[in-house]
Amino acid sequence: MAEDSVDVLIIGAGAAGAAFAWSLAETRMNILCLEQGGWMDPARYPTAGFDWEIRGLGDFALSPNTRKRPEDYPVNDSESPIAASMFNAVGGSTILYAGHFPRLHPSDFRVRTLDGVADDWPIDYARLAPYYAENDRMMGVAGLAGDPAYPPKQVPLPPVPLGKLGETIARGFNSLGWHWWPSDSAIATRAYEGRAPCINLGPCITGCAQGAKASTDVTYWPAAVRRGVRLATRCRVREITLGADGRADGALYYDAQGALHKQRAEIVVLACNGIGTPRLLLNSRSALFPDGLANRSGLVGRNLMFHPYGMVVGGFPGPPEGYKGPTGCGLMSQEFYETDLSRGFVRGYSFELLRGMGPVSTALWGMAAGRLPWGDGHHAAYDDVFARTAGVLAICEDLPELHNCVTLDPELTDGNGIPAPRIQYRLSENSLRMLAHGVARGKQVLEAAGAEWTRVESPLRVAGWHLMGTARMGSDPQRSVVNEWGRCHDVRNLFIIDGSVFVTAGAVNPTCTIQAFALYAADRLQKNLANGLD
Amino acid sequence: MSDVDAAAAFSDDEQRALACVLDLLIPSSNDGRMPGAGELGLAVHIDRIAQREPGLRAAVAAGVAALDELARRRGAAGFTALAGPDRLAVLKEVAAAQPGFLPGLIFHTYVGYYQEGRVLEGLGLDPRPPFPTGHALEPFDAALLEPTRQRGKLYRDA
Repeated sequence: MAEDSVDVLIIGAGAAGAAFAWSLAETRMNILCLEQGGWMDPARYPTAGFDWEIRGLGDFALSPNTRKRPEDYPVNDSESPIAASMFNAVGGSTILYAGHFPRLHPSDFRVRTLDGVADDWPIDYARLAPYYAENDRMMGVAGLAGDPAYPPKQVPLPPVPLGKLGETIARGFNSLGWHWWPSDSAIATRAYEGRAPCINLGPCITGCAQGAKASTDVTYWPAAVRRGVRLATRCRVREITLGADGRADGALYYDAQGALHKQRAEIVVLACNGIGTPRLLLNSRSALFPDGLANRSGLVGRNLMFHPYGMVVGGFPGPPEGYKGPTGCGLMSQEFYETDLSRGFVRGYSFELLRGMGPVSTALWGMAAGRLPWGDGHHAAYDDVFARTAGVLAICEDLPELHNCVTLDPELTDGNGIPAPRIQYRLSENSLRMLAHGVARGKQVLEAAGAEWTRVESPLRVAGWHLMGTARMGSDPQRSVVNEWGRCHDVRNLFIIDGSVFVTAGAVNPTCTIQAFALYAADRLQKNLANGLD
Repeated sequence: MSDVDAAAAFSDDEQRALACVLDLLIPSSNDGRMPGAGELGLAVHIDRIAQREPGLRAAVAAGVAALDELARRRGAAGFTALAGPDRLAVLKEVAAAQPGFLPGLIFHTYVGYYQEGRVLEGLGLDPRPPFPTGHALEPFDAALLEPTRQRGKLYRDA
């Protein structure tokens, strides 16, 4: 890699980095993105083989601690009931995400004003709305207009089919008079911008061999590269460096052979997710920033938010054939989304449909649940479960708390010897009450839909998919790390555009908001180039 | 993993005993729809994994040795020489005495069994991976949404 200076250096080629790069490429600036992973080959995704389910527990596992690919970094999550997950490749964690694409609600940006907790965002829903729409178009989002839980919006593609399973659960919601709506899904339900239509393979969370799911390696990146953005893979950044003027002047990174390089840049943009970004800042210490770069507030790594998930699985007498159709995307209920203090907690949660399991997953789940004996009773017990389960996930809003944090582990390192992140996290009383409410209502709706039995797992440990809050945005440099468009208060040419900047978490999957913010930040950066980024 | 690191394969005797154990863990169904795990040849699958996972290999080898020893104490030439009901009794006794014997073996047996084409057919599925054929699903029935549509606005202005 040439050491010539670039105009903009983006670190991380996932959801945010891809959207930002594509948008900023309009300027024709010299833009380079460094990504520690490589390009994925969809032909090698697990669904093309009989071992597709077990590979989801191996080289395509959610946790980097299980996967242990060379491009992964370990995460010490032993002090958290929720295990963090992320993926390192061009496309980042969109390679493994389910494609759920709900927006935040207008109220999510005003939690202090409306509900007296946490802080308001320095931007609002109306500000992000045009960027949400642009992102929906770029990613190719499926859904249905008219959801009364949202302000009016259009959706480019028809919704993902519900199947027998989804319709069974939908009737359960209807019988209780509860809201539900087809999920907004980043899945091409018909051919879209060169992508093949979804064929209901099922396991979206081990990569989409069909190319229908909108991971950014098949959406933004081809378009960004056509616009002239350069993307360098297998480049792992060790630290951001500072010039004598206190501005970021580039990054030190290791190439695939382990050689250390310096890449100079006029502007540096971090898009490494809510754990990777604070890790990189904390690893970038200097005389000017002895506690980590851009950390004069002391908030880098603080206020870590996940979405605590409560899972309820039910067994149904008829076969709902739940293994057919996209894993996570089907329907969403926001009956309990907005604050109602009579429920015993502030803020709220969504329900997401959980489709059934494949043959191997059924066996392993049955084994863990104590529902599947070995020996003579095995086949009868298996037949009671396979293709007969459906579930709901309560995705709860997690409020920011200073003690929930990402720090550097004193011993654990990645393959290049860079200190790894350590997570310390505990669930608040509010979150625990919300989870209990969600689990009880989840059982209620499954029983209303005809479930003969239910089983609960809460909090769901593997569900650390959403990483937010660890470099929050705000107008006060004492109480936030970046301003309303992602510029660090302490380093004027350093930007953060991933989920780290979230002030609060809402109760929906964050990817479309992360990307809408990245597009907004790129737009603001363009507009402020002429005045020195002020 | 290099050949140097790989554990040794099970002996022929161990494989025969293992096949018997597998048929006890997942026997063939009475209606003939589902094959037994040993009958399906999964001992080879377990052997392959055990060569990569020394812990599994050690647990299975110790368990199989204990099965043989207990069978001999009961007057048989070995575990495989026992009649079916006696094998089950011996297996249960050894599993109780050696709690590390079965959990890993059951896990890998289930994984291997439920990705076999004959088993998928027995479950009424096409014997194929999901890609590239996928699954057909009925189109979305918008009439189901009528109760939600009638609810009116549910979000708060902010």
